[in-house]
Amino acid sequence: MSSEEYYKETFIIIPAYNEKAAISKVLGDLSALGCVIIVVDDGSLEDIKEEVRKYKEVVYLRHKVNLGQGAALQTGIDFAIKQAAKYIVSFDADGQHSAADIPEILSPVFSGEADIVLASRFLVKGKHNASMIKKIVLKGGRWVNYFFTGLYLSDAHNGLRAMNRLAAITIRISENRMAHATEITAQIKKHKLRYKEVAANVIYTPYSRQKGQSSLNSLKIFFDLVLQKLFR
Amino acid sequence: MNGIQILLITGVILVAVYFFVRLHNSILDILLLLAMVSGALVFIFFPNASNRIAHKLGVGRGADLVFYLSIVIFWFVILKLYVRIRKLEKIVTDVVRKDALSEAGKISSTDY
Repeated sequence: MSSEEYYKETFIIIPAYNEKAAISKVLGDLSALGCVIIVVDDGSLEDIKEEVRKYKEVVYLRHKVNLGQGAALQTGIDFAIKQAAKYIVSFDADGQHSAADIPEILSPVFSGEADIVLASRFLVKGKHNASMIKKIVLKGGRWVNYFFTGLYLSDAHNGLRAMNRLAAITIRISENRMAHATEITAQIKKHKLRYKEVAANVIYTPYSRQKGQSSLNSLKIFFDLVLQKLFR
Repeated sequence: MNGIQILLITGVILVAVYFFVRLHNSILDILLLLAMVSGALVFIFFPNASNRIAHKLGVGRGADLVFYLSIVIFWFVILKLYVRIRKLEKIVTDVVRKDALSEAGKISSTDY
């Protein structure tokens, strides 16, 4: 099978909440790859559909109310599985990831070396421009992640991932909001999925900085995790 | 009868009436409500009764005992409510997701 055919069976899922300003460029960058692209509009107040409409091949799903990024991702995965996707990539809508990293993170999945590949901005130096505080929070986050999941990852909360069908079916995200990143890690460990970390860029633009999570949000994630541990 | 007793009794009766109007469908609810209201009234009319129980349990005053117990009960109620909210959230998620998936086909074929 040529690599082109692999890409045809790859679905890229983009959870989007009020990302109208950024999503058009993201879709433009991604469309060259030849994958199926799914935008999951998570109850945005902005008219994202208008932007998505410019790309005829992009599938548009909409949550009628805002549920959170984890929920949107799971909806996209459900859709992709129904459409017989063989490979699935998750990609943030705000433009912080680079489309050029996708072949790199997909290749261990294509070759069968890993069930799931997690992008990391900390694996290699110079892959991100996060502020000092953000860096401290993210690096602290890996210990929290380790404490809750038993899996130590260099970049616990990176939205860029690639997985095969097996991983997509095995992992069920029930944390609607941001704690889903930790939940995915926990399920990798629990179901003994073969995983790999691959270095990838994360570029914060002034736009994504303003739109993205504030560092304080990490506390909210922490409480979501604690409460989940207590009640499941 | 002193002022605080009148205040508390009025409060208890108002709460009881409110709940009775809202929840008069289940006998168990009414029995529970009656038990709680009569318990509250007894302790309001005879404050010394709560003092005696408190002493037996090693707490200085009846009011303190009530305070400690309420903290525990409130914690329990908050956690119960949290579980309830998580359940509701899951139901909403399932419904919204199902809707999003069923609309997907329509949008791509008719809208574009």
